Amino acid sequence: MQQLTFEVNGRREVVAVDVGETLLDCLRERLHLTGAKDGCREGECGACTVLVDGQPVDACLYPALACEGVSVRTVEGIGTPSEPSDLQKAIVEHAGLQCGFCTPGIVVVLTALLEAVPNPGRANIQTALAGNLCRCTGYAQIEDAVLSLASGAKDGL
Amino acid sequence: MTNIGSDLPRADGWDKVAGKSQYTVDYSESGMLHGCVLRSPVVCGRIVRVDVEAARSMPGVRAVVTATNVGNGRAGMLVRDQTLFADREIRHHGEAIAAVAADTLAQARAARDAIELEAESLPALTTMAQALASDAPLVHPDWESYALNPMAAELRRQGNVAGELIADPDGVDEAFERAHLVVEDEFCVDRQYQAYLEPMSAVARFTDGRCIVRTGSQFPYNIREELAAYLDVRLSDVRVIGQTVGGGFGAKLGCGTEGYAAVLSRAVGGRSVRVVKTRDEDIVTAPVRENAELRIRTALDAEGNMTAREFSCDMDCGAYGLETPTFPSILFHFAAGIYRIGPVRVHARAVYTNTPPTGAFRGVNGPAVYFAVERHMDNIARRLNEDPMAFRARHMLRDGDTLLNGQALADAHIAREACEAVQKSLPAVGARQSGDRLRGVGSATGFWVTNPLPGSVTITVGEDGRLHVLTGANDNGSGAVAMGLTQIVAEAMGVSTGEVIVGLPDTDLSGYDSGSQGSRTTHIVGKAALIAIDDLKTRIFDVARQMLPPGANELELVGGMVRAVGIGDAQVPLAAVFQMANFSNVSLSGSGTYATTPPAFTPGCAVGLTMPSLLTPTYHAHRAEVEVDSVTGNVRLLRYVVAQEVGRAINPDGIMGQIQGGIAQGIGFTLTENLRLVDGRYLERSLEAYRLPLAQDLPRVEVVLLEHPDSEGPFGAKGVAEPPLVFAPAAIANAVSDAVGKPFYKLPITPEDVLFALDT
Amino acid sequence: MDFIRTTSMEHTLSVLEAYGSAATLLAGGTDVFAQLPRGELTPGVLVHIMPVPGLSSVVLEGGAISIGALASHRRIAVDGALGGFGSLRQAAAQIGGWQTQAVGTIGGNVCNASPAADLLPPLLIHDARVALVSASRGERSLPVSDFVKGRHATAREADELVTSFLLEPPGTHTADIYLKVGRRSAMEVAILGLALRLTLDDRGRVAQARVATCAASPCPMRITAVEEILQGEELSADLIAEAGQSLRSSLSPIDDVRGSAAYRLAVAPRLLARAIEQTKVQIMLANSG
Ligand SMILES: Cc1cc2nc3c(=O)[nH]c(=O)nc-3n(C[C@H](O)[C@H](O)[C@H](O)COP(=O)(O)OP(=O)(O)OC[C@H]3O[C@@H](n4cnc5c(N)ncnc54)[C@H](O)[C@@H]3O)c2cc1C
Ligand code: FES
Ligand code: FES
Repeated sequence: MQQLTFEVNGRREVVAVDVGETLLDCLRERLHLTGAKDGCREGECGACTVLVDGQPVDACLYPALACEGVSVRTVEGIGTPSEPSDLQKAIVEHAGLQCGFCTPGIVVVLTALLEAVPNPGRANIQTALAGNLCRCTGYAQIEDAVLSLASGAKDGL
Repeated sequence: MTNIGSDLPRADGWDKVAGKSQYTVDYSESGMLHGCVLRSPVVCGRIVRVDVEAARSMPGVRAVVTATNVGNGRAGMLVRDQTLFADREIRHHGEAIAAVAADTLAQARAARDAIELEAESLPALTTMAQALASDAPLVHPDWESYALNPMAAELRRQGNVAGELIADPDGVDEAFERAHLVVEDEFCVDRQYQAYLEPMSAVARFTDGRCIVRTGSQFPYNIREELAAYLDVRLSDVRVIGQTVGGGFGAKLGCGTEGYAAVLSRAVGGRSVRVVKTRDEDIVTAPVRENAELRIRTALDAEGNMTAREFSCDMDCGAYGLETPTFPSILFHFAAGIYRIGPVRVHARAVYTNTPPTGAFRGVNGPAVYFAVERHMDNIARRLNEDPMAFRARHMLRDGDTLLNGQALADAHIAREACEAVQKSLPAVGARQSGDRLRGVGSATGFWVTNPLPGSVTITVGEDGRLHVLTGANDNGSGAVAMGLTQIVAEAMGVSTGEVIVGLPDTDLSGYDSGSQGSRTTHIVGKAALIAIDDLKTRIFDVARQMLPPGANELELVGGMVRAVGIGDAQVPLAAVFQMANFSNVSLSGSGTYATTPPAFTPGCAVGLTMPSLLTPTYHAHRAEVEVDSVTGNVRLLRYVVAQEVGRAINPDGIMGQIQGGIAQGIGFTLTENLRLVDGRYLERSLEAYRLPLAQDLPRVEVVLLEHPDSEGPFGAKGVAEPPLVFAPAAIANAVSDAVGKPFYKLPITPEDVLFALDT
Repeated sequence: MDFIRTTSMEHTLSVLEAYGSAATLLAGGTDVFAQLPRGELTPGVLVHIMPVPGLSSVVLEGGAISIGALASHRRIAVDGALGGFGSLRQAAAQIGGWQTQAVGTIGGNVCNASPAADLLPPLLIHDARVALVSASRGERSLPVSDFVKGRHATAREADELVTSFLLEPPGTHTADIYLKVGRRSAMEVAILGLALRLTLDDRGRVAQARVATCAASPCPMRITAVEEILQGEELSADLIAEAGQSLRSSLSPIDDVRGSAAYRLAVAPRLLARAIEQTKVQIMLANSG
């Protein structure tokens, strides 16, 4: 076990972690932040995505100890059910989620996208989502949600 | 009306988007142990020895269980052919041998790896051909002794054939003898993994001698039934509490991890145990879509009319039946598609093999049967030099025509309407080439059904006037509860959706429900809710009348108020009605149960028919435009148009999600998802190898909704979720065949298939 | 297993010297943390080198471009200084998804030396050199083609750190491309990858051609037989067909879960033809513009 000091959603955290521990296990098991999901543990599904110093990473492959001194942001740090971010609100309003298991990872990646590219087109959004699988929605309404933030308008069927 | 036909946000959306929804993997109880399962490395064999002694004494280990110490209760969706652990016989790769509970998951896994399994490998029946050979050993030598569930009463079984359907109407041979032309095709489809993002998981404990299981199941009442059988206890000694479902698509109808969590908890004296599958384990053990081989022959007369058909199909059950033995019956109903053909002979079998079991996947059997039927239609049209859609139109059933079971299809014309709608949005033009890319268009049409099985709802007015809805139906993600049921209740009760609280299912509290399967929840459970509301409204109005001025006879519910129609603005809030009722010995709660009444059919139309009729049909047309890269053989969807009849759209955005998501699964099944068996083991064992379509791989589906309200359905709603996936493979395969100029007979269509077709 | 976080080059080198082959360097960890749970790696110590400063930049160094070993795929995909190395940027942009590109590094990709490593074909066609340093022997550099020795095998000594990759800027009338074959639009380990650098002379003949592939042999490699066929010739259909045939016979692909050997061989000549066509157009466009 080694001590890890880092910032999670704006709070300083000090935890003891195993050497081979992933950031995902550290967040879920030690800090009880269960927003990031375990869908594969091999970097394929993106359900575990969190931001490390603003960059989206698969927490399932990210060494917890690599987080010394960094700032981590999880879906819990992006918005809450009663105070969702604009993106979270748009996703709900565009029916951009079904079972919701992929949704935290997708919210995190798209939050990073919108910080980097404030007015993304459909192609930008699709490229940003390459590392995130969603089995339920077929992605289109997630893309619509992001587009609505740019145009401010909701496109219909 | 404000709640029906509105794109209201789903009730569970805010928690889900904020990462707050509690899936089973996010749920824990104090003192909870972690379990895992030892699975067979052998494809077929006999257990010589399982030595768990070393494992038992490892650090943190609290229990190790095998077939010898859990009893041997059998369960199954239709045929009770399955035990929790292999006893002596190992019938498939990945079959459970033992399970371990320990303080930590790492300890449980270490102990599992320390279990010594000695198994003698036996020759395995890894293909249907091997299993059907006359001298084949039996996968289940004791098949005759297995109990059948009531739904399976008509099931015809024999040895390695777990379910067989035979329809042999008069006149088939004569029609073939007279035929001017016979077109014959053979198709095959491979397996498809449901690939829900949340791997299967469950938490179990024992309290007061009863087993309490939490699981994100699509069908909690079936989990209860199977658990009671495995544990050999009374049904009511098991309580299943639903969790948020992280996707299921049919795979989470039966027990996955629940049984292991339960027996481990029993073995440790009732402490909570959580069992979660790894992705690899989930792939190996999921009840995936069955692989099948389909042969279809159609006789045509000199005018090019179809006069008879022969259709035979073998589908692979794997080592245990699950839902698959009933699929021959489903195939039977759709063997003619939506066309007038004359007599149709059908022979379909579900076959036991020594491979991981197959089961229900959204649209059960539909994608395969429509792939065969609608590809075959294109092939016949090509032989006749006729436009494929014109050929279809010429044969399409008319209102009142009968299906193969003798049942009349009252509104078949809707299928024509659907075909015209897709034709208008995306006119079919011939194959085109630009540079090294080839383009083509393909279509598919037909009808699908809404599962009729019973469901129930209880609605109670709370002290503050809000409505509590109790149902055994779980939202599998589709929105059938979080949108459909919620909006239906809100509308009928004259409140906003925010006033409607739908709890998670709990078999101790909610009434029976047949699970989220077969596109049934909105239709069936919505209808049960309306029946409950009829009951509830009478009670509310009886109490309210005492509170309203005399003469308030006709009452209505508006905006959370009971209002007297016609007498000024006399009204009382629901909360006040509750207070009054509470002291008047009236319970403000109403219940309803509903199952669709089956239509008339011809008894004896087939033998082995487990589902004799088709209920609440819906009509569909799909058209795909594809581009084939002649360098790589990859296929891209350029456009995809769907015209779908939905009865009545309760939430159009929700339906759009079902269509877009269903087409995505259809595109995957047709083009990118491979689940290949090599000598009884899957080749694809990860989400890297098992390729789900990505955002970039999918077109934004263009949807035309056709509304023909169903007289029975809630506000006219019919089933919506499965059909998008049912018709997509046929439409895409037709489009690829059109683009390449060569027919494709196998799913998935791989880039290799495309390149080799281009090269020959 | 131990974990050491190094914050300087000297620190890293002394740790490597002390632990030798018991140490596994950890950069982005996208390979290491995938291999650890599968038991493919059993290091005594993980040496986390991401905090070492100065190893992730892309700089011009005496006419050559130097890419730091810790430069991420995403960085490479968008860095303006790599304008002349389109194939490398294209390859980096096609590795995994954003999450993998954000943390995966060029040093990790090359040192992992997967048969399907996407960055290797572009590095090979640009004659890139890899720079290494150790505490006891100091710096050395060698061509990437000599560094990668086989499937997951490199010429790195246990005490060495890869610090950078050096690329000479390509001349004029030159274009390069990386084409990757996979079944989906992204998130594919290459079924076949092909990099081509083409230089045409004034009369449109091939002044120089460099071809390299991945996922078609035990490790990514230059296909000099094809280069020789193209050299000095006019790009006729016959020549391209001949080059395609030669490419086929130079490859030794295997059947794996991603694709069959037969498929790889069927695609290879077509992919080469597409690469030639597209680089030719690029050169023509550059000349006319
Ligand atoms: C989901 C996913 C998709 C992927 N897709 C692709 C793909 O499409 N194409 C592709 O090519 N790869 C792919 N990869 C593999 C991987 O991302 C790359 O190989 C990556 O570049 C490795 O970099 P890293 O920094 O993460 O390496 P690490 O995992 O940190 O290290 C990899 C190896 O290199 C060694 N090493 C690292 N840095 C140095 C150094 N400076 N000096 C000496 N040795 C060093 C390590 O000791 C280790 O042996 C994928 C991985 C994942 C998880
Ligand atoms: S759990 Fe990390 S990518 Fe799937
Ligand atoms: S909403 Fe279910 S996986 Fe995306």
